[in-house]
Amino acid sequence: MEVVQKRIRTDGTSLFVRCFGYLFIGLFALCCLLPFLVVVGTSFTKEASIAKHGFNIWPREFSTFAYKIVFENPDLIIGSYVVSICLTVVGTLVGLFLVAMTGYALQRPDFEQRNGISFFIYFTTLFSGGIVPFYLLINQYLGLRDNYLAVLLPGLMSPFLIIMMKSFTRSIPHAITESAKIDGAGDFTIFMRLILPMTTPALATIGLFIALGYWNEWYNAMLFLSADMKYRPLQLFLYNVITSADFIRNSSAASNVPLRDMPLESMKMATAVVATGPVVLFYPFVQRYFIQGITVGAVKG
Amino acid sequence: MGNMRKMAITACSLFLAFGLAACGSDNNSSSDNKTNNSSGDTASNNASSNTSSNTSSNANASADKIDTSDFETITYVMLGDKPKNGQLEKVMDKINAIMKQKINAELQIKWVEWADWQTKYNLLLASGEPIDLITIGTDWLDTWGNAQRGAFLPLNDLLEKYAPETYSEIPQEDWEQSKFGKDIVLIPEDHYTQWVNHGLYYRGDWAKEFGITEPIKDFATFGKYLQGIKDNKKDVIPWDAAGAATTLYTGFAASETDNIELPISTGYVNAFYGKSYDDRYTVDSPIFNDQFIDFAKMTKSWGDAGYWREDVLNYKGDTRSELRAGQTGVDAHHTQTYKNLRVLMDKDQPGSELQMFSYSDTRNNLISMPITHGGTSVGAHSKHPERALMAYELIRQDKEIYQLMNYGIEGVQYEIKDGVRVRPAGYDEAKDGFYTDFWGGRVDKFEIPTDQDWSGIGDIYKKYDAIKKPFPYGKFVFDKSNVDPEMTAISQVLGEQMPAILAGKAGDPEKAVAALRDKLKAAGYDKVKDEIQKQLDAFKASEQG
Amino acid sequence: MKTIAQSAPPAPAAVETSKRALRARTKRFWNNRTLILMCVPAILFFLIFAYLPMPGLYLAFIKYNYTDGIFKSKFIGMENFRFLVMTGDLWRLTFNTIAYNIGFIIFGNFLQIFVAILLNELRKKWFKKVSQTLMFLPFFISFVIIGLIAYNILSYDYGILNNILKSFGAEPVKTYSNSHIWPFIILLTYLWQSTGYGSIVYFAAIMGLDSEVVEASEIDGANALQRIRYIVLPWLKPTFIILLLFSLGGVLRGNFGLFYNLVGANNTSLYATTDIIETYVFRSLMNNFNFSMGSAVSLYQSVFGFIVVITANWLVKKASPDNSLF
Repeated sequence: MEVVQKRIRTDGTSLFVRCFGYLFIGLFALCCLLPFLVVVGTSFTKEASIAKHGFNIWPREFSTFAYKIVFENPDLIIGSYVVSICLTVVGTLVGLFLVAMTGYALQRPDFEQRNGISFFIYFTTLFSGGIVPFYLLINQYLGLRDNYLAVLLPGLMSPFLIIMMKSFTRSIPHAITESAKIDGAGDFTIFMRLILPMTTPALATIGLFIALGYWNEWYNAMLFLSADMKYRPLQLFLYNVITSADFIRNSSAASNVPLRDMPLESMKMATAVVATGPVVLFYPFVQRYFIQGITVGAVKG
Repeated sequence: MGNMRKMAITACSLFLAFGLAACGSDNNSSSDNKTNNSSGDTASNNASSNTSSNTSSNANASADKIDTSDFETITYVMLGDKPKNGQLEKVMDKINAIMKQKINAELQIKWVEWADWQTKYNLLLASGEPIDLITIGTDWLDTWGNAQRGAFLPLNDLLEKYAPETYSEIPQEDWEQSKFGKDIVLIPEDHYTQWVNHGLYYRGDWAKEFGITEPIKDFATFGKYLQGIKDNKKDVIPWDAAGAATTLYTGFAASETDNIELPISTGYVNAFYGKSYDDRYTVDSPIFNDQFIDFAKMTKSWGDAGYWREDVLNYKGDTRSELRAGQTGVDAHHTQTYKNLRVLMDKDQPGSELQMFSYSDTRNNLISMPITHGGTSVGAHSKHPERALMAYELIRQDKEIYQLMNYGIEGVQYEIKDGVRVRPAGYDEAKDGFYTDFWGGRVDKFEIPTDQDWSGIGDIYKKYDAIKKPFPYGKFVFDKSNVDPEMTAISQVLGEQMPAILAGKAGDPEKAVAALRDKLKAAGYDKVKDEIQKQLDAFKASEQG
Repeated sequence: MKTIAQSAPPAPAAVETSKRALRARTKRFWNNRTLILMCVPAILFFLIFAYLPMPGLYLAFIKYNYTDGIFKSKFIGMENFRFLVMTGDLWRLTFNTIAYNIGFIIFGNFLQIFVAILLNELRKKWFKKVSQTLMFLPFFISFVIIGLIAYNILSYDYGILNNILKSFGAEPVKTYSNSHIWPFIILLTYLWQSTGYGSIVYFAAIMGLDSEVVEASEIDGANALQRIRYIVLPWLKPTFIILLLFSLGGVLRGNFGLFYNLVGANNTSLYATTDIIETYVFRSLMNNFNFSMGSAVSLYQSVFGFIVVITANWLVKKASPDNSLF
């Protein structure tokens, strides 16, 4: 690809676009980085200093107390990591397969029921039964209280991802499917053997979205995984740290709450760092597949 | 369009089919519940008729006759984050050993964690899950609302038999305050001394420095203290409040008027008060008092003088730790917090002599706390309410269990030195810390004083005891079903107008107060007021009749 | 529902043809069996997790009694909706919510496409990787923390912004008492947080572009701008339309976390421009947790979104049938 690029002369406009791109993207990325540095810096700042001077990239008074509290029980946080990683990996693999399969079927122009099923799926984004019936469903009817499945199952698919997949897959010419059919291949075989390998960029994207969904998920975990479970997803663990700190401080509603000492602001920041860290390391790994997508596209025609 | 129609038809029919299926199953289950309930009712009726027929013959023997041959697990819903250091399990093992031996049951705490606790607490009740015991509070957990929605099991017929000591310990008067309609829906925490009346904390040493030698008893003097900080303490924000302090509103009502708060919540602050203790059956509102304009002027002048930040409404800092770090001179909360904070301040800022300006100091307008501020209810769908009450009885009446539940294990969590609870040598909060957040029936008789509380608190209690008036609205449960939308609208108006007024950020105080009053009127203030007055009149009649 | 009412009973003469049609349809159905089977997991999934709880919307019309359960509770009609109309705020809230969402949709998509295209133009792999990762960071910072950071930048006495202004001798600004600038602050925060995440979809779509077409255009002498204008943008159209239709369905649903944490629960002087349905409802229900009222609001938002989407999809279908959602 790059070789091809170099052979073509780079005209002024293209050069300008490219320079502008570096500048704009660079600045924007910096805008995204700076607040995060503030988060990191503040997480290492002494609480009293935060109250006085506000947030800073470079801590005025250095302290690791917040991390000490977050990592008070290292086995708990490690366990939370393990749970989150397992949920993310299993959920992403299963979810990705199902989404891709459905997405492929739904874009086949010769699939008569595709519009009906699409509507059936899309409709659920508009209307939902609300929290009480959903809670009853998971807890009483499916009996998934304190079961990781209560977090895993609802996150497998979303209408958005299926429709995205459908749209991505559409860019593969239908002729490929047709010629394979003439060769006698079944629909499922075509999907597994031909389509899946051709959609790597799409799969990477959808997979990334599913994975992020699982990684950031805390609401279902909060509803269905009680404190009786020793290890719960990381985000819930951290969310609890943040909200209970908030609650204890604004405890005028519940005047019963005893005073417990906590480094409040710095701890919130520390939790953010702990929750984000691994993803920063993980993302470049996924990115490979985006780049790979180009070569697949090149071979395709 | 043809496609569209087909789709719509399939969608609708699918929707209907599954909707109906779900309705069907739901109907079944709810009718199941119904029959369960009614059978449960008849069973308890039988039980009660049995007891009543038996009471005459062998009242004392009935307690022995309770069948506990089946081992049961009793759940107790508490608010808070489960302690993670393993101490809870150790203590619970000890408690459950006794529970097993005495009532053949074990107690299991179900924690409603602070993260979105409102959703979880209410969802737990709304879902109709079987809950045995649950923490309640009429003034912060919407207990009357939940009782109205049928969340709790009426205990009238069960208490005497299954929790006899508690039943007789709580006077009839207090039971009356625990009723919704005719049903006893909760067991009040009425034998525990705590003062949750609010006030402002200030530093005694600084006050002296500014020439304020007497304890502060009113807002005017408090303003002088704040100005003193402004003038003399560089780098200190006099009162670094986070958000507008609703405490100022409560403070205004108690300190500048004779109004006493009605147990009717209207959100951000409560609009409806009783006129005074003596005239307690007349509805009034601090907002519509003439003094409120003066008060609004005061908050405006405080805000303009920079006693708090310009953007106090958005500041989210932690005032209390700033106070402890010497960065601000004021914090606000209630007496219960003060007795704790004073000890911490003596340590953090030696010689600071933290004082509390309690709002009742100005004109002795002090009403005792409602006894239903804390308490315990039994869930409507509890599978074994009898054993649940027996377990509750043990927590409240068995000294050993009570102290385990509240303090942990002697020698690990605490030691007793000269009758005072102290931390053992080598106590490590992270490793040995323990709490259960049992706020559903603490009793003074088993409490042990602690060195974590300020030793001078007794004098403050004495001061309160000399002026306190009983909470007159214990048996008054406002039925808001006639004015529900108006109440919601009033809460909206208060939430939208009041914070800025209290923070002195609403512009011209007179105009702001007038606007607030107009909006309240538009939201149906008068209609609600009439409704409350009507119900208060009826309440008065029942009280005096 | 109208469509059902309109479908007239088949005329006798048409019965024969409809029978034949039925047979043909069964056959086609059989031919599609694998494709249908491939959709079965998804159908089951949505059936269980989305359709089964749906009758719970009935909650909006009842006075929910926990002992009686949902379907035995008293039916009270539209009573639960009344609190929304009572204060006369409904119009303002609806307007604010829609205005913000439209702003988010327009500027959000524009910036996402812009970033995706620029990223695609870049040649340095490491730069692409690093910048993309960095743009992703804001997505992981919870709104609670974003709110705290915003305060630290904007606060009057100690904020970074005012410190900078003061150092240039300018007047400090009272951000937190000026409601007019908040739409911009909220929009900027939204863009800051969602652009990196959102541009992924467009970036991936561009990756799916046939590179031969691109190369051919380059050999034909098209410059970058021309390539973007005539190849990339049209290629992104279907993706844009799908994203658009999806966001339109939620046009009346606000991003509670964003507004609540940026504006705060207390700063009433900013409500004129920052109050949306979600924050209003939150305040209404804060001390009286009423699931029925919650359902009522959610139903209002759903019906509104439904109407908007059906209209929009119909328009899209007229213009370019391939791009419609269903």
